[in-house]
Amino acid sequence: MSKHQQQPASFLERLIFNNRPAVILLCLLISVFLFYQASQVRPQTSFEKMIPLGHPYIQKMLEHRNDLANLGNTVRISVEAVEGDIFTKEYMETLRQISDEAFYISGVDRSGLKSLWSPSVRWTEVTEEGFAGGEVIPQTYDGSAESLEELRNNVLKSGQVGRLVANNFKSSIVDIPLLEAYPDPNDQGTLIPLDYQQFSHQLEEKIREKYQAQNPNVKVHIIGFAKKVGDLIDGLIGVALFFAVAIGITFVLLLWFTHCVKSTLAVLVATLIAVGWQLGMLNVLGFGLDPYSMLVPFLVFAIGISHGVQKINGIAMASGDAPDALAAARMAFRQLFIPGLVALLSDAVGFVTLLLIDIGVIRELAIGASVGVAVIILTNLILLPVIISYIGISQKAVKISREEAAREHPFWRFLSKCAHPMVAPISVVVAVVALAGGVWYGQNLKIGDLDQGAPELHPDSRYNLDNDFVIRNYSTSSDVLVIMVKTATEGCSTYPTLSAMDELMWRMENTEGVQSTISMVTVSKQVIKGMNEGNLKWETLSRNQDVLNNSIARADGLYNADCSVAPVLVFLNDHKAETLERTVAVAEAFAKEHNREGLEFVLAAGNAGIEAATNEVIAASETTMLIAVYAAVSIMCLLTFRSLAATLCVILPLVLTSVLGNALMAFMGIGVKVATLPVIALGVGIGVDYGIYIYSRLETYLRQGLSLQDAYYETLKSTGKAVLFTGVCLAIGVATWIFSAIKFQADMGLMLTFMFLWNMIGAIWLLPALARFLINPEKLRAKG
Amino acid sequence: MSEPVMRRTQTGHVARLLTPVFSVHSPLAKALSLCSVLSILAFGAVPVSAQTTSDTANYSIESAKAVHSLLLDVALAGKRLVAVGDRGHILYSDDQGANWTQAKVPTRQLLTAVYFVDAQHGWAVGHDAQILATSDAGETWTQQFSDLEREEGAPFLDVWFKDRNTGFVVGAYGALFTTEDGGQTWEDVSDRLDSEDGYHLNAIVGVEGSGLYAVGELGGMFRSADWGLTWETIQGPYEGSLFGAVATGEPGGLLVYGLRGHLFRSSDFGDTWEQIEIQTPGNGPLEFGLADGNLLANGTIVVVGHGGTVLSSTDKGQTFSLDNRSDRISLAGVTATDNGNLILVGQGGVHLASLSGADLGQQ
Repeated sequence: MSKHQQQPASFLERLIFNNRPAVILLCLLISVFLFYQASQVRPQTSFEKMIPLGHPYIQKMLEHRNDLANLGNTVRISVEAVEGDIFTKEYMETLRQISDEAFYISGVDRSGLKSLWSPSVRWTEVTEEGFAGGEVIPQTYDGSAESLEELRNNVLKSGQVGRLVANNFKSSIVDIPLLEAYPDPNDQGTLIPLDYQQFSHQLEEKIREKYQAQNPNVKVHIIGFAKKVGDLIDGLIGVALFFAVAIGITFVLLLWFTHCVKSTLAVLVATLIAVGWQLGMLNVLGFGLDPYSMLVPFLVFAIGISHGVQKINGIAMASGDAPDALAAARMAFRQLFIPGLVALLSDAVGFVTLLLIDIGVIRELAIGASVGVAVIILTNLILLPVIISYIGISQKAVKISREEAAREHPFWRFLSKCAHPMVAPISVVVAVVALAGGVWYGQNLKIGDLDQGAPELHPDSRYNLDNDFVIRNYSTSSDVLVIMVKTATEGCSTYPTLSAMDELMWRMENTEGVQSTISMVTVSKQVIKGMNEGNLKWETLSRNQDVLNNSIARADGLYNADCSVAPVLVFLNDHKAETLERTVAVAEAFAKEHNREGLEFVLAAGNAGIEAATNEVIAASETTMLIAVYAAVSIMCLLTFRSLAATLCVILPLVLTSVLGNALMAFMGIGVKVATLPVIALGVGIGVDYGIYIYSRLETYLRQGLSLQDAYYETLKSTGKAVLFTGVCLAIGVATWIFSAIKFQADMGLMLTFMFLWNMIGAIWLLPALARFLINPEKLRAKG
Repeated sequence: MSEPVMRRTQTGHVARLLTPVFSVHSPLAKALSLCSVLSILAFGAVPVSAQTTSDTANYSIESAKAVHSLLLDVALAGKRLVAVGDRGHILYSDDQGANWTQAKVPTRQLLTAVYFVDAQHGWAVGHDAQILATSDAGETWTQQFSDLEREEGAPFLDVWFKDRNTGFVVGAYGALFTTEDGGQTWEDVSDRLDSEDGYHLNAIVGVEGSGLYAVGELGGMFRSADWGLTWETIQGPYEGSLFGAVATGEPGGLLVYGLRGHLFRSSDFGDTWEQIEIQTPGNGPLEFGLADGNLLANGTIVVVGHGGTVLSSTDKGQTFSLDNRSDRISLAGVTATDNGNLILVGQGGVHLASLSGADLGQQ
């Protein structure tokens, strides 16, 4: 790199600095266009982008999506009676109002709405004449003690305990199926797609807040995919606030670093322009802002600031020798453009390796981040020096910078001991021990999501508390693996099919981690028992086809329209990777044994099926991605330094950070998942910057004939502060994420903060120690 | 409001071409049926006893969950408890129900009833018209009979043995089968009953000093004073289905029970009946169906059914005390251990209970 520093003005430099008004005008025009585009970016969470579309499970799931239609999108409102049970006049009245209110919310599939008040919720009993039955809440219900007692009996006879009514009779559920798109109330001809955020807000306002205020004895719990997505989008918007916090903190730090308001503002403005352009480009490329790609503006901001700081640092130092701001800016541009470009390109290369992972959100993140880095080249490497060339740097800052360069720095002197011949071996031993410890502890690292409930949100978020409430009080689990049973048309209700399904269910139920299973077989057995006067001795499949056909008539949603696909729902205790692997393996083995012409067991759907597929993709990508990202940054280093030893000095501290990062994840109970996998690539891709900055300086001083320790002192004195500042800047940019309402964003924030800080520590502490062993200053000088 | 929907669904079984033209208890019929026995012995014995299903190789799967899944009947083999149920599960316990071992059983079909004639020899019946036998107190079982052709494998529902050789099996669509050789050969003697419509026979019981009694669908009742050779149809006191019968231990003493808490008592082998009303505390008559009963060693009679119903009588069935278990599960079978605890089976498998029915917790 040092080679470039003394070059005369390049063509690029002349092109830029001879046409400064044109550069500014061009950037202004681009800004107008891209800021307009950026204002059009909308938060979105697309389900399909979060899952590995290439995985066979997902392909099968999408193939049969229409057959499994009604398994999915429902919201369940559980209305809890705080004191006493549900059999009071007041509770039932509130429940009625809530089901009526829910009925009129746009997007609700009104025909399918179910609560104790629905006429479709019935009790049945076997009498001498056959079945008798009626609505659970009879027409004669008037809230009197007698009618409440009748209601209690009807509920017992309805078989809804554990489903619509909690096992402890202290709450009941309003079950609300949703339409993905619903007719516009003003124009019945057009369909409006369901807006999850708006829907979720309506549930809060019209149901939870309204009725908890109206009847203090009820508590409302709401769960379901739509509510979860609504909460996610709310959390996403909350993250935008963090951006303001990050800007505020950065401003203070910048001011402390530059001692100059003008240049602080210049850096901030140039960087915010980069963020705006990146967001605009997202919209131009047709992407929205999802909870993952939300990270990109933060990264762009942090990277932009750190490069801006390098620029300001360079201009301040150059100002001593230059006659005016323009000359100083040109000099700094000449010195820093190429190293900055290399550093940014290596960032981009790190991001691009993320494209190897077959998951939409990660790919979009990779593209978004690469675009962002490219944008920084324009804004912070080109526009920023041009701006500074107009406004200049305050005299005070220049003076301080000059004084800093001259005086002795005890802190840097102390740190330079890292390169000392006695200290270096100790550092290397410590690093090796830490590496070994990290590798050992990192074996506990798990694939996948490890927490109960909705993994996207914090375990103590309201959604997860609601979810926990429903799981505890009803016979249900939120982790469902769906195995699809495929037969010929009209073949799903034959005895061989049903008995094979029955066998699969029993096999699954006997697998550790499985709570229960449900399929049309469950319904069929119950109905056959019912048709035989409730006699338990008949609670099994019949070989009589007419009986079977009758028995599944009420099993809506458990087989498709032409009876060729029937799902088996396997409810799991949790979605830990072992549980998923174990159950999927049992199901695969069963499918292998029993698949034959006309009867096929196909994996998989349900959230557990999707997670199993995602885990497989992640586990397979993890190693590939690590190899790719390290290969990429190694090649970048080799190209830059043309030395294997130098490359090792830069790369080995990164390896230590990656290993310790894994150990930290294991310690914090964070699994390798869609959210944390990119962190490894981002951490390595950005972390390599420090090494490149430090090593290139160190090399320069070594060539000038300084001893390793002295050369390192000079290195620290000139760039140490900038490196330290960069590390802190990057860490602050992402650290605010730790407070995100979205669990995986918090995990990403934590891991990135750790990676950025440790990469910096590794570069400052370990790089010189390694150099002590790997670099021969004599040879360098000879070569130089 | 109440709405009758349907009462029977199985179709195509009602028209019985084999309905005997003669009344079953006529001497001629006896002679004819004897002929038919002979003919079966001569020509049919081999095919009937050799009937096996393609499922023979499918032994029931050993599972820790078997003890908690549907079980339908429980019996004592000496001191050993033996329970049968879903998926060919047969479980036995030698420690009064605390621990259960799963027996080796050559079927995965639902087994509906079990009967032990002594401490070693027992039979179990179930779906696919199956009869299984054991001679080692329930540890291993062999299939004696199965017929998938008979009403598409419709189930046998109860079994009773007089001694090691002579026994009877009743089942769906009026099935009555008998053996004279401990089950080596089984003979279809359904036509000994005058049951034109082929309604299900749900239970068969031996009544002290009187003979055999069978009950079934739509209040159907049949009795045989000569222990199974000839049968007469009894006009019962009830139109609804009867699911079980239990002898009270006195000559001619018998209880039958069925839908919606109906329980009837006879002390003259079914000539006259009196209904025993069961009242629930504060909620009118018991409405839950009653499934099975047993005369315990100490003379107590226990009857169980839906809704966690456990009825017990210490006066030979004249009065009953009622307990509805708080879990309200459906019960299908009952017996007692030496220490006086009840072993209840049904939904959720085995439940240990005190004599009043209160749960003692599972092992």
